[in-house]
Amino acid sequence: MSLITILWSMIASACLTLAAISFLTWGRNREAWANLFFSLLAAGTAAFAFCELGMMRAGTPAEFATVLKWGHVPTWLILVSLVGFARSYLKAGRKWLAWLACGLRTLALILNFLVGQNLNYREITGLRHISFLGESVQIADGVPNPWMLVGQMSLFALVVFLADASVTVWRRGDRHRALAVGGGAMFFMFFSTVQSVFVFWGIIRIPITASLSFMCLVLVMGYELSSDTLRASELARRLQKSEAGLHEIEERMRLAVEAADFGVLIRDFTRNEMWASERWRALLGFSETERLDLQKIFERIHPEDRKAVHLMVEKARSGYGVYDADLRVVLPSGEVRWVATRGRVEFDGAGKPAFARSVAHDITRQRKAEEETQNLRRELAHAGRVSMMGQLASALAHEINQPLGAILRNAEAAELFMQDKSPDLDEVRAILADIRKDDQRAGNVIDRMRGMLKRRSLDKRPVDVGELVREVAALICSDAAARHVTLDLAVAEHMPPVLGDTVHLQQVLLNLIVNGMDALDGSNGDRHVGVSAALNGAKTIEVAVNDSGRGVPADQLTHIFDPFFTTKTGGMGMGLPISRTIIEAHNGRLWAENRKEGGASFRFTLPVAEKDTAK
Amino acid sequence: MSEPLPPIVHVVDDDVSFLAAISRLLRANGFSVKTYSSAHEFLAQRDTDTPGCVLADLQMPLMSGLDLQSALAQSPNPLPILFLTGHADIPSTVRAMRDGAEDFLEKRAPKEKLLDAVNRALTRDSRERAARERQLELRALFDALTERELEVLSHVVRGQLNKQIAADLGLHERTVKLHRTAITTKLKVQSVAELTRLTQEAGIFPELVETFPKGQ
Repeated sequence: MSLITILWSMIASACLTLAAISFLTWGRNREAWANLFFSLLAAGTAAFAFCELGMMRAGTPAEFATVLKWGHVPTWLILVSLVGFARSYLKAGRKWLAWLACGLRTLALILNFLVGQNLNYREITGLRHISFLGESVQIADGVPNPWMLVGQMSLFALVVFLADASVTVWRRGDRHRALAVGGGAMFFMFFSTVQSVFVFWGIIRIPITASLSFMCLVLVMGYELSSDTLRASELARRLQKSEAGLHEIEERMRLAVEAADFGVLIRDFTRNEMWASERWRALLGFSETERLDLQKIFERIHPEDRKAVHLMVEKARSGYGVYDADLRVVLPSGEVRWVATRGRVEFDGAGKPAFARSVAHDITRQRKAEEETQNLRRELAHAGRVSMMGQLASALAHEINQPLGAILRNAEAAELFMQDKSPDLDEVRAILADIRKDDQRAGNVIDRMRGMLKRRSLDKRPVDVGELVREVAALICSDAAARHVTLDLAVAEHMPPVLGDTVHLQQVLLNLIVNGMDALDGSNGDRHVGVSAALNGAKTIEVAVNDSGRGVPADQLTHIFDPFFTTKTGGMGMGLPISRTIIEAHNGRLWAENRKEGGASFRFTLPVAEKDTAK
Repeated sequence: MSEPLPPIVHVVDDDVSFLAAISRLLRANGFSVKTYSSAHEFLAQRDTDTPGCVLADLQMPLMSGLDLQSALAQSPNPLPILFLTGHADIPSTVRAMRDGAEDFLEKRAPKEKLLDAVNRALTRDSRERAARERQLELRALFDALTERELEVLSHVVRGQLNKQIAADLGLHERTVKLHRTAITTKLKVQSVAELTRLTQEAGIFPELVETFPKGQ
């Protein structure tokens, strides 16, 4: 057995082995086109190795010519599969270059069978023995076929294609692959191309040994492919690991969702399917196996909420993307539950809804608590109104009883005087005058009370603020005395009038004074409320109601003007907001501050009336 | 003892009109009346020796009726107090009555009720005044006793015999007898029973108050 026979047979068998392995790999993964092309490339190389061996051992020129002719079939296969491999493995290379190389090669293959003895020679005239690797081998002598250029051009086109592909891969950043696969293929292809040019045009006289280059090519690519397989298995291992991690995360999510008592609903729009967690099903009263659809879910929603929910879901689906609602659910048992639901719709590339995911949470208990609070507040408000009416009634009774008592005692005294034989008529006249005066007084009290109770729109007239303060003080003084509160007045003299509604302003002042007295509840020390009124600048009158209580906690200074904010057990929390509204309707300002010497100070300003309107 | 002065009804009210009206009524019913428009004014002018009573408005600025009541209670010769109110509230009523107010009337209470209350208050005043005077007399009598005589007296009112007293105090029985004679003479009493009653009335030995009911 000669060395050449052994060497070429080894090349062929090695290539066939690789081809078989790669082909099997492709068989298991039909998308691994690179493996198929590699397999074809290796098989082509093996076949070409046999052809070369046949040429070197040819007995006659005709035999040489025939082997060479058939040798173009594996060549065609090698070129086409190399192009395919480069396209599928490197994912690079210009298409038109690929088509050019393949087209030229196919043309060359056709010409090979049509023109001359084969593509390379018109006619092989004789064989020549030369020494190669220490042995005698045959090479051909003959007339070169000019059509051979087509084949050689296809090889050049292939080299250019590979160069272009390598550059692209290199630029993409995958330098290793560009050098090993692209560069390697280019180098060996270039080498065998040059060799074939020199040999077939008769410039040098050596046997064709292209299979050697092709085998090197096959080895480089086989090495690349198998290291890819190794990488793939490494990736698979890592994927498995990260899948385990993902599972762990999923498990934690599930735990969190369960702990938060959230139910989860996922809707797949494309497949028109719904998936819901156990908790979600339990929340809406569905069994674990029941198939869900939108219709069924909507039937569970309280009829009063259904329309609003429908609109909201539609809005989310048509592009808004999110929805968020508190709704009532009616279970088949008739039980009503409050459910808070928040959801998000995901859209596909075309803007169509793909998925909707939502969580639902039972808020029945919170809702009930809120409702109870509401009820309590309503009751409190009612109680507050009742207690205010009670206070007013009590104040009214006190105020009225004073003059009525005087009238009664005067009348009784007059009766006694009249029983005298010579009644003191002057005394009786004085009594009658007093009775008339007290009656007037009682009437005034009633008028004042009625004015305070009446709801009226603002009736602005020039108002003397000093007079206003004194009137309110007179009204409240007996109440203050009963509560052991000293009322101090400090009213500046000769203040210009303001334009305002007396009754409303009285109400504000009264409210502030009563608040001040309330602030002294439970305090045994200094118990006084001071009311002052003075000009602040030329255009504003400032009225202040100061108490000697504990003051207002700093964080509540602004909140006390909020409706329903109250610190009093029986309070409605409406006094200050109403007062502020009234003062603001008079173009003034009402605010609260704490005094340095302790206690709170409620102040309001009123603009001085313009000269012409004051008249 | 001088002739008792006529009682005066002191009316305190910040409502001048009511003040005038009620004083007319009281005068017409034969009472001597003095009026004051504030509690301070009354306290400044009052004369503790004159009997009478106070008719005060409960709700007055600066010093309320209840404050007046406590100020009055601390004076040596407190006058009974009657409250008038435009509109009675329960807490004030309770407090006033607990602190010994004679009555609590609405300003428009029936005349009879008012006059009855005033009369009752005046009677109470004269009774308390008499009791206070008797107390003073008794004090004066007991003040005449010597230390030793008081010591003997304390044993006598416990019902001890002369012999026992002599043994307890380390005296001769005869000496004890002499002390007893002096005591009865000074206190102008005839019997031990009378002596015991007088001692109790004067409140000389407060620690005995409890033991007496047992002895009776």
